[in-house]
Amino acid sequence: MKRAQAWFLPLAAGALLIGLWYLVKRLTHLESYLLPSPGEIARAAWRERATLADSVLITGQGAVLGFLAATLGGFLLALILGLAAPLRWALYPYVLILQMTPVIILAPIFVLWLGQGTPSIVAITFMICFFPVVANTTLGFASVDANLRELFAMSGASRGQELLHLRIPAALPYFLTGTKIAGTLAPIGAITGDFLAGTAANGRSGLGFMTITYFSQLKIPELFAAGGVACLLGFLFVGGVNLLYWGLLRRWHESARARE
Amino acid sequence: MSGPVVQLAGVGKRFGAGPRVLSGIDLAVSEGEFVSLIGPSGCGKSTLLRLIAGLIAPSEGTVRVRGAAPAQARGSAFFVFQDPTLLPWRRVAANVALPLELRGAPAAERRRRVGQMLELVGLQGAVEQYPWQLSGGMRMRVSIARALSVAPRLLFLDEPFGALDEMTRDRLDEDLLRIRERDPFTAFFVTHSVAEAVFLSTRILVLAAQPGRIAASIDVPFSGPRRAELRESPEFLRTLAETSRALRAAAKGAA
Repeated sequence: MKRAQAWFLPLAAGALLIGLWYLVKRLTHLESYLLPSPGEIARAAWRERATLADSVLITGQGAVLGFLAATLGGFLLALILGLAAPLRWALYPYVLILQMTPVIILAPIFVLWLGQGTPSIVAITFMICFFPVVANTTLGFASVDANLRELFAMSGASRGQELLHLRIPAALPYFLTGTKIAGTLAPIGAITGDFLAGTAANGRSGLGFMTITYFSQLKIPELFAAGGVACLLGFLFVGGVNLLYWGLLRRWHESARARE
Repeated sequence: MSGPVVQLAGVGKRFGAGPRVLSGIDLAVSEGEFVSLIGPSGCGKSTLLRLIAGLIAPSEGTVRVRGAAPAQARGSAFFVFQDPTLLPWRRVAANVALPLELRGAPAAERRRRVGQMLELVGLQGAVEQYPWQLSGGMRMRVSIARALSVAPRLLFLDEPFGALDEMTRDRLDEDLLRIRERDPFTAFFVTHSVAEAVFLSTRILVLAAQPGRIAASIDVPFSGPRRAELRESPEFLRTLAETSRALRAAAKGAA
């Protein structure tokens, strides 16, 4: 019963919303370039399927690269910040400064350094994803249970052993939480990056660039379709990251294991 | 055996600029003793235990274990914490194997020891479980098995059964003594329970607070192996009464 409801209720709500959408359009007589109907959007998506699929691929690639760089780089920086308190005090303000500087201002600088295209898009995605990974993972490394550390001291563990067998596993849930947040940001970062630094090299372009193109051509149903496709990409990304979280923690961590 | 295993001379401790937690502790403990530390809360008994274990350093005086600094005795000593302090991401067997693994014992020896220790504490069936799947008492058994896996000559126990119900605690006390008959070790045991101290110890140190100091030392002379029935014997009850009196006197002195 609960299961059926979990499927039925969202679908019913969706149908209701689409019905409302048609109703508003019918009553207000809004032109399609202001408010296209769901049917028009679906037809536009089908017409543009090859272009949109290509855009998703390009944007997805930028998102994955930026995300991987941010999680890897974030983990390494957090390792340094978490293990050496003086370095944490010295560097953390600058990590914050990096986070506080709007990406929209950094984007032209990246373009200046790296040129239009993928490297700049990856750099922008990296900038957006980096901070949540660093902040969460640093917290994880810094908040290892004091008794467990004494247990390792009693066992005569070296610093390397403590890192490998205690600190890294203890920080893993924090790291994965940061990764989850980064996962929701990565597609947005890649689209923003493409919007600010994208190109149409070889006639191929990402979702951000397509947004500009559709808008300048007043292809509004296509613009809505691009939005829908971007949303799907986001879900795909978050789904992948959640799967990783569940896979690594389900056996032991409170947040992921099955209730008994 | 010649000379004391553990020797403290004029030991005092304060944390930072705080008040003195311990002051003027002199103590000599010989091989094979089971020493309980008991006293009102805040009397520094856990601090004293940590000092002897070398987890913290004294502010005054000296602590010697077998004539050397406590940290040098790590290879033959282990600590049982108030909480089970198990690694939640390791199964029971891997948790028990941890100290041996960290000390570089070969895998075959680890497996053998882990099997023995889990059998000793009656947890053969739980090898593949994760800590969250166990009850509080079982988790504490894993913690004890882990400490015993290194065959310690010196074991520190910081109120290990304080959070458990009385029946489980009595069972674990009996098991601890049974294990100790097989693999003897010198023990330091912090507890709040007078009955537990009397049941386990060869000597009870009653501490007074502010600053923490040894107010009384009571020898527990029971002969022969200690079993559950000991708790009903007249000599047990007599020592119980004596210890309770000393504890009351120590608490009053501080107030």
